[in-house]
Amino acid sequence: MPDNGTPAPGAMTTPAAATQLRKAVVVGGNRIPFARTGGAYTKSSNQDMLTAALDGLIARFGLQDERIGEVAAGAVLKHSRDFNLTREAVLGSALSAETPAYDLQQACATGLETVLGLANKIKLGQIDSAIAGGVDSASDAPIAVSEGLREVLLDLNRAKTLPQRLQVLSRLRPKDLAPDAPNTGEPRTGLSMGEHQALTTAQWKISREAQDELAYNSHRNLAAAYDAGFFDDLMTPYRGLSKDSNLRADTTPEKLAGLKPVFGKNLGAEATMTAGNSTPLTDGASTVLLASEAWADAHDLPKLATVLDGEAAAVDFVHGKDGLLMAPAFAVPRLLARNGLGFGDIDFFEIHEAFAGTVLSTLAAWEDEEFCRTRLGLDGALGSVDRAKLNVNGSSLAAGHPFAATGGRIVASLAKMLHAKGQADGRPARGLISICAAGGQGVVALLEAH
Amino acid sequence: MSAPRTVRLGEMPSLSKLYVNAAATAARRRVLGAQSGSELPGCGHEVRGVTAGVGNLTAYQHLVGETASDVLPAGFIHALAFPLAMSVMNREDFPLPLLGMIHLSNKVVQSVPVQFSEALDIRAWAENLRGHRAGTQLDLVAEVRGAGEDTLRWRGVSTYLAKGVFLPGIDKPSAAAAPGDFTAPDPTALWQLGVDTGRAYAAVSGDFNPIHLSVLSAKALGMRRSIAHGMYLASRALADVGAAKGDAFSWDVVFEAPVFLPARVALDISTVQDDDGAWLRSDYVAWSPRSGRKHFSGSVASLK
Repeated sequence: MPDNGTPAPGAMTTPAAATQLRKAVVVGGNRIPFARTGGAYTKSSNQDMLTAALDGLIARFGLQDERIGEVAAGAVLKHSRDFNLTREAVLGSALSAETPAYDLQQACATGLETVLGLANKIKLGQIDSAIAGGVDSASDAPIAVSEGLREVLLDLNRAKTLPQRLQVLSRLRPKDLAPDAPNTGEPRTGLSMGEHQALTTAQWKISREAQDELAYNSHRNLAAAYDAGFFDDLMTPYRGLSKDSNLRADTTPEKLAGLKPVFGKNLGAEATMTAGNSTPLTDGASTVLLASEAWADAHDLPKLATVLDGEAAAVDFVHGKDGLLMAPAFAVPRLLARNGLGFGDIDFFEIHEAFAGTVLSTLAAWEDEEFCRTRLGLDGALGSVDRAKLNVNGSSLAAGHPFAATGGRIVASLAKMLHAKGQADGRPARGLISICAAGGQGVVALLEAH
Repeated sequence: MSAPRTVRLGEMPSLSKLYVNAAATAARRRVLGAQSGSELPGCGHEVRGVTAGVGNLTAYQHLVGETASDVLPAGFIHALAFPLAMSVMNREDFPLPLLGMIHLSNKVVQSVPVQFSEALDIRAWAENLRGHRAGTQLDLVAEVRGAGEDTLRWRGVSTYLAKGVFLPGIDKPSAAAAPGDFTAPDPTALWQLGVDTGRAYAAVSGDFNPIHLSVLSAKALGMRRSIAHGMYLASRALADVGAAKGDAFSWDVVFEAPVFLPARVALDISTVQDDDGAWLRSDYVAWSPRSGRKHFSGSVASLK
């Protein structure tokens, strides 16, 4: 075991002197329940859902007609007409129309990155308040026309005479009329995210049982959190849904064990990834209210947690050097080192469950001496994450994962948990968030009870 | 005026049947020359436990430019209550021909918001039969409450004109109000309304009045082209006012020149605030940028 709390070698950066910066605090959050694709939100657009989450946040914290410093949100699956998605949602909400907004997109890390970017602006004194968020609809996904039809339509627009137009139209072939639906395949490998993870899961020898156990715990923890009323001040109902529709409170390890594998069936190794230990396609939206301490005080609002720091990483997955979703394995040790922390200083680990295999591969990598020495530049293994501190109120396997909305879900929940815990070992309670993303990327963050 | 005696219907009447029945009644009256008197029906109609279809609601919200929230837009409630109002005008003892009636104006008071999942009791009746320089007009009142509740949530008054129909004993107003000169302000928005606008609104509102559906069906009723539904136009203006109106508001519209489809419609919305900058109301007016004729105007105002 490594010496917890010792900064790792290779930590090249140091945090900016904290004394020069203000604190950015999480005031609270609001999301709509997440719905499995094709369910309650089938006809709702990204803008509808983001506005619903935003209006719930506005109502909860009395932000009607308030001019917020800046709102940032995004969606992974996005229609081209939604180029100003966040600003349009703000205009449709009860916020002051003088609230500026921008869109951000970093695959599944979108939501967390909006929190970090806006928190940095607050720390620098550029803004006093901010709303971070994210939304995704796999139901109302954009469908593009084929390349052939697109080129014909563009050329048709440029053609000036009737013969020219007919000539352009004559290029059209029946196959051009088939639409292009979005998929979760990586552009450079053609493999779906699940197939990529299946490679990583096999590489780290993660068992089917371990994956099913993680999935089971996710459902059990989320169901217990609902029973305890944990989400009462984190959620507003939408379209008749008041709970995440993917939650199976009555699932059992046996039921999960009975599911057939869906990913990695052609990889040679045993296929272990099922619909039960992988996240389903989901629709939903989340928001987080951030502020300077002074703004929160002036508005008589709570200060749940401080956004301490964040780190992004990326891996060279294209030719298999690292797994597609393994970037957080690199980002977390860098983040901890910069802040002089080890796993023993963390009270809550929020590791996004894209797949149970992703979480378990990441944990295995941190426990692997060879990997930590050669790839992370550490003296030995980074350490083991105490499972009793991992995703204690459930995570994406149970809640679902509307890509860009997951970051906001986690930040708001973690801030509430940190505030409830308050102190640990005579210091403020701390939480670590880790989110993997397409393109071999990952964004991680540290929060601390205020 | 309070609601008259009501007849409770088992379910919301079907608009398509009502239109067919109205056409049959019109034909019969033409042949027999029968009139049904100069008095409005002494009773209204009521349906209890009405709920909105969520798919229809979302389609309506997207069509008129509302965000798909869980609160029913005031114009959607109008559409929800509309078949009941139509059924009152379709009664044997209703004195005016339903087909060809012109929607002159509409007033709505949305006093308490309605969630889409709530069951509603809806009542509708006709009142205030009176003369108009061009015929006879009346008010169709609809009231919406939560199922089994006393509190009024939504109240709509639609004023209709039966053009060219003069009933015995009902006098024309002596002086026709002179139409004021309209000078178009600078627009704040420009709507492009396609030829399918009427069909699209008919699909979400259920109002398949032939004058809105196609050139052909409109011509059959004496229109040169199909025209946009007045409540579609007013609902878009309401959506344009946005979240400023809050939960409780009044919403008035007066229709003037019809919008023949396809059309471009220019719109101006001006906001009136109190001394503290709080929203009091938004006044809107729409006109044809080509002819400069006013199409409709109205106001959305705070109830506070």
